[in-house]
Amino acid sequence: MKSLDPTVKRETIYVAAVVLLLSVLMQAVFLVIGRWDLTVLWGNLLSGTAAVLNFLLLGITVQNAVTKEEKEAKTMIKASQSLRLVFLLVVAVIGAALPAVFHLWAVLIPLLFPRIAVMLHPLINRKEGGS
Amino acid sequence: MELAIGIILGCCALGAGMAMIAGIGPGIGEGNAVASACEAIARQPEQKGAVTSTMLMGCAVAETTGLYALVIAILLIFVAPGMFVGILKDALTWIPTL
Repeated sequence: MKSLDPTVKRETIYVAAVVLLLSVLMQAVFLVIGRWDLTVLWGNLLSGTAAVLNFLLLGITVQNAVTKEEKEAKTMIKASQSLRLVFLLVVAVIGAALPAVFHLWAVLIPLLFPRIAVMLHPLINRKEGGS
Repeated sequence: MELAIGIILGCCALGAGMAMIAGIGPGIGEGNAVASACEAIARQPEQKGAVTSTMLMGCAVAETTGLYALVIAILLIFVAPGMFVGILKDALTWIPTL
């Protein structure tokens, strides 16, 4: 197995950190509105882990795809995207089908945290560049 | 009553299926982005890190469209039917002549 590219490693660590931060924030919001129980925590853990794993798998695929020919890279990324979407679908269905263990909203919301991490990326990069 | 519930469930399932059509788009977009990145890296191999980083973030953004569709589909399958059937039953108790 090829080792992880430093760029992919760095970005995955960044996304994982933001997902963790936003998860803590979400738990706090649930606590404040009086809806917190263990199902929120389990749901958050399940989908937060899935979201970071999804980003890591995307990174590994991209790392492998850039060394290939254009057409092969295109096919590879399409197949990977389909498989990762199925993986997230399975996670979401598990979260929704077991309401006694996972809170539905706590499962669905963290899946979108990597998008927020990407949105914040230029801001953090600018800060790092400025200091 | 059973017919109305059946229509609600069918429409929810149909809507969920239609929402998942949006899952096709990100794959095509990401494929094009990676193909262009391959070309860029072949032209300037010293920029591999920067290109990979930018592309990774771009792919993550593109993928969110599919995730929105996934969330909508899950809500349509697991939340919407119960809600709509509840509304229907409430409506029937309010209007007993129906």
